[in-house]
Amino acid sequence: MMTSFAPSALAGYLIVSGLLLTIGIIGFLVRRNLIVMFLCTELMFQGAAIAFVAVGRYLLDYSGQVMVIFILTVAAAEAALALALVVLLHRQKDTLDSDAYGELQE
Amino acid sequence: MDMFLPYIACLTLALTIYAALRPSPPTVQVGMIAVGVAATGWLLGIVIGSLTSFGELTHGIFFIIFALCAIAAAIRMVTHERPIYCALHFVLVVIATAGLLLMLEAEFMAFALIIVYAGAILITYMFVLMLANQAENPEEPYRKTNYDRVPREPAAAVTVGFLLLCLISGTVIGGTPDTHNEANTYSQWFVLEKLPAQFETNVQKLAPSFAWPPIIENEKMIQSGMDGAFIVSQDGEVLLLDASVFPTNTQMVGWSLVNDFPVTIELAGVILLMAMFGAAVLARRAIELTERDKRIAILGEDTEETGGDA
Repeated sequence: MMTSFAPSALAGYLIVSGLLLTIGIIGFLVRRNLIVMFLCTELMFQGAAIAFVAVGRYLLDYSGQVMVIFILTVAAAEAALALALVVLLHRQKDTLDSDAYGELQE
Repeated sequence: MDMFLPYIACLTLALTIYAALRPSPPTVQVGMIAVGVAATGWLLGIVIGSLTSFGELTHGIFFIIFALCAIAAAIRMVTHERPIYCALHFVLVVIATAGLLLMLEAEFMAFALIIVYAGAILITYMFVLMLANQAENPEEPYRKTNYDRVPREPAAAVTVGFLLLCLISGTVIGGTPDTHNEANTYSQWFVLEKLPAQFETNVQKLAPSFAWPPIIENEKMIQSGMDGAFIVSQDGEVLLLDASVFPTNTQMVGWSLVNDFPVTIELAGVILLMAMFGAAVLARRAIELTERDKRIAILGEDTEETGGDA
């Protein structure tokens, strides 16, 4: 049974989730290691999860927590596929540097 | 001046992240992260106003601790030069996030996050990282690779991040409407109308003498009054409902999952299955098998040398 929740407390949780999302985006743009780039997308998922649960808690609704289950699903599927791709690329060039795969754009 | 304070805090944080991204000794890195944590605390202080707005002071203190842990670990993860340490700092972010979810009374999701993220997904990342690092330089295992030390376009990335952060904090400070009212709290009780067996069991536990079923008024078993929600039995006994009658967090998440999102959960299963197939197909190595290899694989023995078939 959920009780009432102050709007300023919700604002605190939303700021934390926004910070995690922003740091994840900065990391994705800045890092050149393929695996760390995908780790940064997982950081963005964490921010989204906090926002979903906080707003669900504020509106006294459990749908926000259900959304976290789907975030976990997407994160797991992304990890499996992205890491398989990284293993495949690593076999080609023996490096994880994302700049080394620039020729794939043509 | 007050309206610019959050943006100044955002700017401080962005400059700190920029400074932490540049290659520097570990002591400078730790100092930068301390400044970043201070800026985050300042921003949170501006937004929340006072820790007592969480209802209880302990709730506010735990929120600040978990929030600062999550942000510090996230900055360290983005700036660390060794990928393995990045993954380990991400585990710290996951654990701090689980703490925040516990503060939000989402116990099931908090522990599911630790089990699935820190337990399963991060192990996959660690496997691939160690596989790649091992292959890269077997002679010098402690050498840092160049592409991990030198960031790509940190100024542009931090500018984008700063603008996004300003937008988010501006929106959040602009005000969340106070949607909370008494009717909203009562409406939670009506989920019990759809779970009659659960409702009966819990009521019997609370008040064994209560004569089930309660009378139905206006097509509802649960009535709401000044003191809270209550039910009335056939012989006029009034039972005030308390939180022990209500389903637990896990039960409510499960109910919401199958009641509100029945198709989405099926789709999630299909997505996971296809991801498994996709990973297996992508990562396999194509091996050329000769006729003789195939025969050995199928029959379990090499029949050619004995001259059995042709």
